[in-house]
Formats: sequence, C-alpha cells, structure tokens
Amino acid sequence: MGDRAICMTSSEKSDAEIVCLVDDDLSVLKSIERLLASDGFSVCAFNKPKEFLTYVQAHAVPLVVLDIWMEEMSGLEVQAQLSALSPQTRVIIITGREDQTAKLAALQSGVIAFFTKPFDDDQFLNAVRGALAMHPIE
Amino acid sequence: MSERGNIDKGQQEKEEPFYAGQTRVLEMVAANAPLPEILTNLVLLMEAQAEGMLCSILVLTADGMRVRHGAAPSLPEAYVKAVNGAPIGPRNGSCGTAMYLKRPVVVTNVMTDPLWADYRDLAEICGLRACWSTPIFSHQGDVIGSFAMYRQEQRGPNAEEAHLTQIATHIAGIAIERQRVQETLRERDARINLAAESADLAFWVIYPEQNTAWMSDKGRKIYGFDSKLPLTRDLICSRVHPDERAALHAAFDRACASHGIFESEHRLVLPYGKTRWVIVRGRCLEDEHGSLLELIGVTIDVSAQKQSDLQLQIQREELAHLNRVALMGEMTASVAHELNQPLTAIANNAAAARRFLERGNINPALLQQLLQDMVADSQRAGEVIRGIRALVRKDKSVVRSVLNLNAVIADTLRLVSSDVLLRESVVTTEMDHNLPLVEAAPVQIQQVLLNLIMNALDAVEALPPAERRIIVTTRSLSGDSAEVSVRDFGTGLPKDRPQKVFDHFFSTKQTGMGMGLTIVRSIIEMHGGTISAENAPDRGARFFFRLPAARGDSKSQAA
Repeated sequence: MGDRAICMTSSEKSDAEIVCLVDDDLSVLKSIERLLASDGFSVCAFNKPKEFLTYVQAHAVPLVVLDIWMEEMSGLEVQAQLSALSPQTRVIIITGREDQTAKLAALQSGVIAFFTKPFDDDQFLNAVRGALAMHPIE
Repeated sequence: MSERGNIDKGQQEKEEPFYAGQTRVLEMVAANAPLPEILTNLVLLMEAQAEGMLCSILVLTADGMRVRHGAAPSLPEAYVKAVNGAPIGPRNGSCGTAMYLKRPVVVTNVMTDPLWADYRDLAEICGLRACWSTPIFSHQGDVIGSFAMYRQEQRGPNAEEAHLTQIATHIAGIAIERQRVQETLRERDARINLAAESADLAFWVIYPEQNTAWMSDKGRKIYGFDSKLPLTRDLICSRVHPDERAALHAAFDRACASHGIFESEHRLVLPYGKTRWVIVRGRCLEDEHGSLLELIGVTIDVSAQKQSDLQLQIQREELAHLNRVALMGEMTASVAHELNQPLTAIANNAAAARRFLERGNINPALLQQLLQDMVADSQRAGEVIRGIRALVRKDKSVVRSVLNLNAVIADTLRLVSSDVLLRESVVTTEMDHNLPLVEAAPVQIQQVLLNLIMNALDAVEALPPAERRIIVTTRSLSGDSAEVSVRDFGTGLPKDRPQKVFDHFFSTKQTGMGMGLTIVRSIIEMHGGTISAENAPDRGARFFFRLPAARGDSKSQAA
C-alpha cells in the first residue's frame, strides 16, 4: 500500500474550500474523495494521519473528515493534536464501528458530526456543506 | 505234502485271523476309535489265542500313582470295580507291582503270593489263580499301563503266551500313547479356544504350499465364513476392504520372504455389507530345514474401539467448532470492520457515480475506474465472508496442507487487526524466515493462533495502553520442527503450575468456557506437536507450540 496524499484541487479554489480527508484504508479513502468530488468539493486526501498533521501546519484547513480506527494513530488522537495546531479546523468523524463512548467523547470535544460507515451520502454531504458554510473565514 | 508243511499250514490257518485281528485293532487306533473299544478288541483278540485265558489292560493315571480300568471284557465286574483306582506299589497285586517296578511280574499262585495279600479274597471268589502282568511302555520308556493274563490253574506263562504278551503290550502302548497325545492336544485346543473366545480373537493358518487355510470358529464368525467352507489365502484376503487388500498381501509376502512377522490394521467387508475394523498379527513358521511351512496369525476385532474413537473424534471436532464460533463472537470488531470497509467504499463509489451522472459531467475513464473499484471491493467483502465461513464451517476444517506458519500468522493477525486496534494494543512479530514448512490443517492452526492471541489481548487489557504489548515469534528448531510463541506482558499464569491452563474448564475469565486452551492442545497434539506455557522471566506469560517439519522439508541444510 503506497503512501497517498493527493489534493484534488483546481487552481481557482482557495484553501478555504478544500476538504481534507484522512483514512488509512485506501479504497475507502478513494471512494469518499470521489463522493466529495461528485458534489463539487476539492479534496485533499491522506492515508497517513501524520502527513495530514504536517500539512495542517502549513495550510489553512477549514474542514477535515477523519477516520477513528487507524494503524498509525487513532482519529481521536489526531483531533487532540489538531485542536492545538489548528483550533479553527472543523472535524467530521467517520468510523467503522458503532461506539457510543467514542461518539460522545468526539462530540464533546467539538466534532460537528459523527458518521458510522457505511453512511448515507446525502446526510454526509449535507454535513460537509454545513461545516464549510459555518466556517468563519479568517 | 510233508509233515512239516502240514504243521506250517496249521500254524498259518491259526495265525491268519490273528494277524487280521491285529490289523483291525491298529486300524481302529488310526481311525481314532475310543480307547476302551480298542483295548477291549485287543483283549478279546488275545483271549481267542489261548484256551481258558482271561486278559485285562489297566492304564496308569497321568500322575503315575493309580491304575484305571482299561479293558477286561471277561473278568467278573466286581473284580474290575475293585481294581479300578487302586494305587500302584511294591506289593499291589501283579499289575500294580509290575507298573511300580517297571518289569513283568509273574504270580503263579495268587493264594500264597505276598503281592496279592490285599486282593486274595476277591481273587478266590472270582476263581483266579495265576496272574502274569507286564508293564506297557510309551516309546519314551515311561510306564503307561499294564497287560495281564489270568489263569484258573496255578502256573507260569509258556513261550506262546509270552509272545502274545509282547504283541499285546506293543499294540496297547501305541493305542494308549496316541490317546494321551490327543488328550493333550484337545486340552491345549480347549485352552486356546477359551483364550480366543474371551479375547474376541480369530486364529488362522495359511498353508502356502497346499493353497489351503484353516480358521477357528470365532474367526469364521468374524470373517463371515460358513463353518464348512474350505478356505484359502485368497478367500481370506477377499474379505479385506479393496483399498487395503494390496497392502495386506504385501505384508504377507514380505513376511514370507523374510520368514518374519507381519502386522496390519484394516477393514473387513462382510458379505451382507457390514464393515469391521480388525488388527491382524502373525508370523511365518518354518520346518527344521528352514523352508516355509505356514503363516499363522490372529485377527482381533477392534470395531467397538474404532467406533468409540470415531465418536470421540466427532465430539472433539464439535467442540473445536463451537470454540471457533465463540472466537468469531469475540472478534466482532474485526469482523464488522473488515466487512464495513469495502461496503462503505462500494456505497460511496456508487453514490459518487450517481451524482456525476446527474450532473452530466462524468468522464468515462473515471466512471470505469469507479465501477472497477466497486467490483474489487465486492470481491474483498466476499473474501472476508469466505474467510469467516472457512473458520466456522465444520467440514474441511481438518483437511491438511503444507503450510508456512509465518504466512498463517500474518493472515491471522490481519483477521484480528481491528480488535487489536480497538483494544489499543500492539502486536509485533519476530519471524524466522528459514522456518520449515509444516503439514497442518490451516483452519485449525489459525484457531490455535486466534485463541492464543485473544487470550493475550485479554491478559494485557488491564494495563495502560502503552504497555499492552504482545510478541509473536517463530523459530526453527534445528530445522526439523517449527516453534511459534505468543508472549504477553500481563499478570502471568498460576505460579504453582502454569500447565494447569490447559485443563478443562480452567478459566480466569468471567465469560470464558475454559475450553479454549484444552482444544488448542488437542489440535496441536493431533498434528504430532507439543504445546507448553510458562511465565516469562520479567512478567507476562509465554505460550509456545512446536510442529514437526513437513516430510521432505527439514531445513537444517538451509542457509
């Protein structure tokens, strides 16, 4: 499995309209990336959480879609570091496992939405749209 | 015709029926007629040779202490009864004394002879006066009886009577000895039969030269042969299951060639379709020149034992199956995650395709890519389900193949990866890349590894996440066996007896059935391996099992 950090950004889009995506499962990563693209979003996808954390230090990231269960580090850990590195970044969590405790913890720490895979595409895209719209651009 | 010729002719006329009589008696011996009948005929033949002569034959008991009535057709019944069972000794009438002294005893007058002190009154009543007794010897020289001639007048034997005595003792010796041998054989036969009956054994003998065979009654029952049916080696072997017949013939031939022993375990298929499991053991017997005489063997019916072994095996497999189902239940996170990932990808790709199509701006190459990925992910989900099914299905779970344990470990760790992740634990591996291959049932080895890994995960659960470590190691033991160990850093095993964990129903878990490690051990042992548990020097437990290298994969020579 090769490293992957691809940003499907077109030149006219600014960082503010880019959605970051972190999931260590390549086929899931690719599929969410396409789903977002099909609705017109630009996506910057990472299959290594640490690469995302590096990226976020150099770029303004309005929204990240984050998987919880990853080999390298858990999505909740990424979120914890992110709140220090980029407190303004909104977080949507996607997880492969129904876990009420994790959901509660995530929502309490400022996550705006929590989806269990597989999820409804409309609900997910609405949440992404909503998150980007509510984001105050600095 | 001369005077001499007339005498000879008279002699001849007298002797011819006597010879015929002797022949008749010997024929009776050869035909195994009852001994009293033979001896009675012999006595009557002798009595017919001399006027006024009464004869008797006594047989010495096997212990050599007493006489038994043999034949005395012309003596009074009271006399015969009195003599039957009398002891032999130095003063015990003519016969008892002759047998005791092992030489002829001639008493010309029983009324005065001290040897007859105990029998005198009886002899007087019966009108017996003279009694000449000669011991009968076996051809080894042991006394086995006596032949006596009685007369009602006081005198000793003449030459003709002495000659008759010689003939009578010779023939009686043959008859008595033969009967004794047959008695011994009968007793031996009875003993062997008793042993065979009580041990459910069949005896048989194959005579290769004559192409015939003999089999005991029990044997005929086991093999389903009618009691009269003449047997041959081929007929006996025809009862053997076709798959195993050639091997049995080969075992016989090998034994014949080396004049050695043979042993075989195989099935018999009886005419009405019933199958028996038997063990056959035997040897070749040779004559004094070392040439092959016969194949002698026993067949033991072990069907009942086989049946219960089979039952046990079914129960063991049933239990192992329940354990695998239970393991699946413990691995819910992994199972759900492994299925969820491809399903999520499929759902997202499909939704994306629909949206692209709705917007009318899809690039055909992208659409193709999307569809291809959906197919690939469906296959991935299918693989996961196949993997789960392979692990929980009953059949094929025991089918063996040649395996690289390193690969089985990698597969198993992939299977539990989500549970490891979820429990915030870390599993590391230290693989020996020169590990010999083993011949094993992949499902069962995966089951062993799953049990050990799930146990290890439980063992480290109470520790802080950073310390939840498990190490899986493989190594080659001088190339002829492979060792796998699973080490955790938990609280360890019972200090007094770590091996207790393999006992039935031993469990430290709230929910455990306590069968997991018992099943693990039985699987490893069925593969000819061993499993053990110990406390690691610093902390935690180490479980390790060893499996023999597959035939032809001893890696001692490998670099």
